[in-house]
Amino acid sequence: MNEWMSTFKRGLSIDNPLTVLMIGLCATLAVSTKFEGAFFMGLAVVFVLTMSSLLVALIRGLVPEQVRIPIFIVVIASFVTIVDLTMHAFLPDIYTFLGVWIPLIVVNCVILGRAEAFAYHNKPSLAVADGLGMGLGFAAVIIVLATLREFIGSGEIVFLGTTIVRLPGWYRGPGVVLLFPGAFIIFGFMVAGAGAMNRRIHGRVVETKAHCTIEEGASR
Amino acid sequence: MMETLAHFALLLVGAALVNNILLTRFIGLCPFFGVSNAMETSWGMAGAVLFVMTLASTATWVFWNWLLVPLGVGEFLYIPAFILVIASLVQFVEMYLRKAAPSLYRSLGIFLPLITTNCAVLATATEAVKPGFFKMNLAYGFGFGEAVVYTVGVALGFGFALITFAALRERLEVAPVPDVMRGTPMAFITAGLLSLGYVGLSGLFGL
Repeated sequence: MNEWMSTFKRGLSIDNPLTVLMIGLCATLAVSTKFEGAFFMGLAVVFVLTMSSLLVALIRGLVPEQVRIPIFIVVIASFVTIVDLTMHAFLPDIYTFLGVWIPLIVVNCVILGRAEAFAYHNKPSLAVADGLGMGLGFAAVIIVLATLREFIGSGEIVFLGTTIVRLPGWYRGPGVVLLFPGAFIIFGFMVAGAGAMNRRIHGRVVETKAHCTIEEGASR
Repeated sequence: MMETLAHFALLLVGAALVNNILLTRFIGLCPFFGVSNAMETSWGMAGAVLFVMTLASTATWVFWNWLLVPLGVGEFLYIPAFILVIASLVQFVEMYLRKAAPSLYRSLGIFLPLITTNCAVLATATEAVKPGFFKMNLAYGFGFGEAVVYTVGVALGFGFALITFAALRERLEVAPVPDVMRGTPMAFITAGLLSLGYVGLSGLFGL
């Protein structure tokens, strides 16, 4: 149980996929203009990551090393298809907003990277802990980023048609925060903040790695 | 004739600059930050992306229009089908290049498996092939020629942004940056400023 908790917590802090490992950036920066979009994107990633980690860990004895990547991709693609069709049916507005990013969860480095680096070598219960932790770490960062951008940029936060917070009418937000440059710049400050926090709490420099783990794995 | 040419030229410029895949749409950022440390690898990556992306869109266009649509399974099988077509295509190309053109393989080879799971390739293939994903007019499906021109434009835009960014990062190495921001955080802010330039192009030619 102790091992389970420590695996689970790693994804949230010291091995956070976004601010530390730097994987799965594309979707994060692109859909973080709206709080609700980011919320459902985070939910979709938590679901796909947990389920695919579990399934990969369950079948890891049957999967030969040479063809593991295509098999992982098929596993992930089937869960993404479930998310794709479910969202299309029940949340059509969110589905239109997320657009091409739903099918792109298949090639999101977080999911393939965790299947390759963790779930393939560990037992199912630990793989679920890793998937949940990494997924929630991803969701937390993307939701914080989207909240900051929507709040600063437009002065209000809307969730499924209801306004949660609204600044008084005289507030004119800097529109650039909602555009593409704003995402890069705010995320840059978030990475710097997370790095400083990790240094203070864990007393060591956490090396940021700007690459996909899967890229090296696939070349073999 | 002139109209067709102008249409293709607009499509090319629109895909490469106005809707730049890296800096205005955030697709394919992993290699953008991953390989832009060195100028030489950036050139290699740009070439490999141009090559693989064009092949992938061609293959998925044929696959979609001749197989998935006639069978009526496109709506729910397109994700696994496209990614498998792209992955196996890259594998075959790699094996063929290693035998047939060793010198080309040496310069592009190490990047090929890297791109299989790159979201830029899947995204472009999906947009160029499946109606409804292309941003500019929603229910519009591409013809074969348009799909190829669009893909080449996207790949050129990718290479251009990647190489510019790599050049900027080489200068950043020697710049006096505050300690907290050193490395990746500063790279993000640089990318943000670079992307600000591309935002200025949006709306050009009504794209």
